[in-house]
Amino acid sequence: MRALFFLMVSGYATGAAASLVLGTGPLARWTSTLVAVVGAAAGLGLATGASMGGAAFSLEAPDLLASAGGLAFGLDGLGAVFLALTSLVAAPSALYGAGYSRAWDGRPVQRQAGFMLNLFLLSMSLVPLADGTLTFLLFWEGMSLSSYFLVMTEADRPEVSGAGQWYLGMTQMGLACLLGAFLLMQAGGPATFAHLRAAGAMLPAGTRDLVFVLALIGFGSKAGLIPLHVWLPRAHPAAPSHVSALMSGAMIKMGVYGLLRIGLDVLGGGPAWWGALVIGLGALSAVLGVLYALTEDDLKRLLAYSSVENIGVIVLGVGAAFLFQSLQMLPAAAFALAAALFHAVNHAAFKGLLFMGAGAVLHATGTRNMNRLGGLIRGMPWTAACFLLGSVAIAGLPPLNGFVSEWLLFQSLLPGIGAPSPLVAVLMVLALGMLALTAGLAAACFVKAFGITFLAIPRSPEAVAAHEADRSMRTGMIVLAAACLLLSVGSFVIFPRLSTVAAPLVGLPAPGPVVRAGLTLQTPDGLAQMSPVIVTVGLGLVVLVAWLAVKRFASRRPLRVGETWGCGRVVQTPRMEYTSTAFAEPLRRIFAEFYRPTEDVSIDFHPDSRYFVQSISYRSAILPWFDRYLYAPVIARIRFWSERVLTLQSGSVHAYLAYLVAALVLLLGWLVVTGQR
Amino acid sequence: MGLLSKILRTGLVTEPLPAGDSEVVHLVREVDAESRRLFGRALGIREVDAGSCNGCEVEITGLMSPVYDSERFGFHFVASPRHADLLLVTGPVTRNMEVPLRKTYEATPAPKLVVAVGDCARSCGVFAGSYAVAGSVDSVIPVDVFVDGCPPEPAHILQGILTALRSGRP
Repeated sequence: MRALFFLMVSGYATGAAASLVLGTGPLARWTSTLVAVVGAAAGLGLATGASMGGAAFSLEAPDLLASAGGLAFGLDGLGAVFLALTSLVAAPSALYGAGYSRAWDGRPVQRQAGFMLNLFLLSMSLVPLADGTLTFLLFWEGMSLSSYFLVMTEADRPEVSGAGQWYLGMTQMGLACLLGAFLLMQAGGPATFAHLRAAGAMLPAGTRDLVFVLALIGFGSKAGLIPLHVWLPRAHPAAPSHVSALMSGAMIKMGVYGLLRIGLDVLGGGPAWWGALVIGLGALSAVLGVLYALTEDDLKRLLAYSSVENIGVIVLGVGAAFLFQSLQMLPAAAFALAAALFHAVNHAAFKGLLFMGAGAVLHATGTRNMNRLGGLIRGMPWTAACFLLGSVAIAGLPPLNGFVSEWLLFQSLLPGIGAPSPLVAVLMVLALGMLALTAGLAAACFVKAFGITFLAIPRSPEAVAAHEADRSMRTGMIVLAAACLLLSVGSFVIFPRLSTVAAPLVGLPAPGPVVRAGLTLQTPDGLAQMSPVIVTVGLGLVVLVAWLAVKRFASRRPLRVGETWGCGRVVQTPRMEYTSTAFAEPLRRIFAEFYRPTEDVSIDFHPDSRYFVQSISYRSAILPWFDRYLYAPVIARIRFWSERVLTLQSGSVHAYLAYLVAALVLLLGWLVVTGQR
Repeated sequence: MGLLSKILRTGLVTEPLPAGDSEVVHLVREVDAESRRLFGRALGIREVDAGSCNGCEVEITGLMSPVYDSERFGFHFVASPRHADLLLVTGPVTRNMEVPLRKTYEATPAPKLVVAVGDCARSCGVFAGSYAVAGSVDSVIPVDVFVDGCPPEPAHILQGILTALRSGRP
């Protein structure tokens, strides 16, 4: 265990050093990539060992930062899940990044990006390993700052620096809340989580509530919960794609990790309203996230909003765990928590894959605007196949992992309908409805993302000239695509492990609720069961039989290949195709109350006759509720006060000397008044 | 209440089938039987107006009217040639419709039949020689049966469809 830990840390550290020392060529790129892959493999091994119930890992390093009490590391089941999820995305992302960042060879940005990427991977892997306030906050902030620098990699593009400011602002606001929460919990003595846990039980109820709300805001801003999601759709399009894959696949999950660590582990759960609040935020994020994703034309912004949606789904399960625990429905709580953890792992796999696919598209065509893409399946079949697989997984369709975890989440919410309090029952019915709506809209959203991007006639010359991603990028995508399938087929092994991890967190003695019968997953009450293996094999058989039947019976008929039926038009051009905006139009009408779309059509007629139209321009926007009514007033207020404060900083040395003298006089006067010497 | 009593008071106002027209019913049943024999199901028809004056369309619409109501016998007009077994083409083929007509024919899955309706479809009628006309229907796509008349009656169109089905070419 200890050897794996040091291998992981030294892998990432070597990677960072190699990027700094070895220059900006392929040598540095590949060295730092390969050692990062070794580090990720060691991390995965460490996490697997810890979750298999091996010897608990802990390591104290009191000499590091001794003045602040030293660093402490430890790995329990919960940390292991999040370390595994991070390592799962880290290795393919690093591989993918080696190909993706080839364009930066010979430029200083290569050195910075390689260094920051390894630093980011290192600090993100150490967050779930941290066992103490100082260690946790140190690597938390390391993760935030290194990812900020990664977002700013291509700072010469105009929209990037704005995105970076939003990200930095949100993440530092979150850190301020976390500092508040940890300060409130601090009760003297060593600040390891074990001590905090003991102290947490002693805290008065009001303080516990305050700690929880602060932690929810702090971790929620990292996770991207609505209304703290505003940085995601800005930072993801700005960041390089393998960084987006890491941030969306792994980093936002650290928000969920923190919420579980503080809320369930350290504080040991709380009153029912904690759970209800978390469920509410989760449901809001899930539904609004997918609604925003549906109307998005920018492929990476669409994926970013879809991350908001999936975090909402995960947090919905976490909230259900909080609520069930407060109602003493412990098996249901453990089941909901395990389902949420499983969805977190699955989302890491398929969202990482989708961001890499979007990155390959961006790399090949230079655009993220879906209305300028199309037909890419011919030029880039591997990317298209991987993106399709990721889309099927995220849409929650069998036989892939998204289906399994969404099914489990549905099942885990059902016991809430039988909760003793009718209020809880109603809440759970609403949550189930929200989850169902989200799943359906997500399917529509990814039909759009895949169909508009990869099918039909290319909509621009760039899309015509699209080339397949290079081998390292393809390898990264294929690894995660395989992970999506394995997580589904292997869920009858993985999910019981997760439920063993979840059980002690909600106060249920391990090994948790029975969720396995052979190859089948079963709910704790035994009312429902599903076997991903049989579903996968069954679907495979259906496809095989259909293929054989077609081959046997239809191949003798003459085969005629014709063009797509387009109502007999003489020439068919991409302008006649369904656009991304048009695809979302029906849903935009249905949810018009929420979107409040504004449409602006201007028609330019021929000067001599209104019967001849020269050009039509159409512009449509939806109301950005949170930007306009939440953030704009806050930003305006901050700006107002900053300008008031600015008058103090006049730039005149005389004024500054006057401040010094005034401060001195005031302090001396205060000493005289209080009579101290 | 007003509506219900009105329904009761008014009764049936559709015209009864005139004496000789039961032959039409007989005809439609035969079309149905033939299409079942050939395709194993109801007949899907795609109507293509290749430049007609719409006189033929008025008669074709008659097939769907309450008097003939052909859909009850299981043949219906479909929205895409991809769903069609039979093309019902009217009019002289104008130059603008020449390519679309050919594309429609190509888009129709085999086995398929073509019935050209009206005098114009065979000879371009009064439009023959116009600079806008490309030619008769059979100069663009293969035709199985011509239905003559300007315009032909619905019963004649049915007869033409039946003849096409019986030709057994598909």
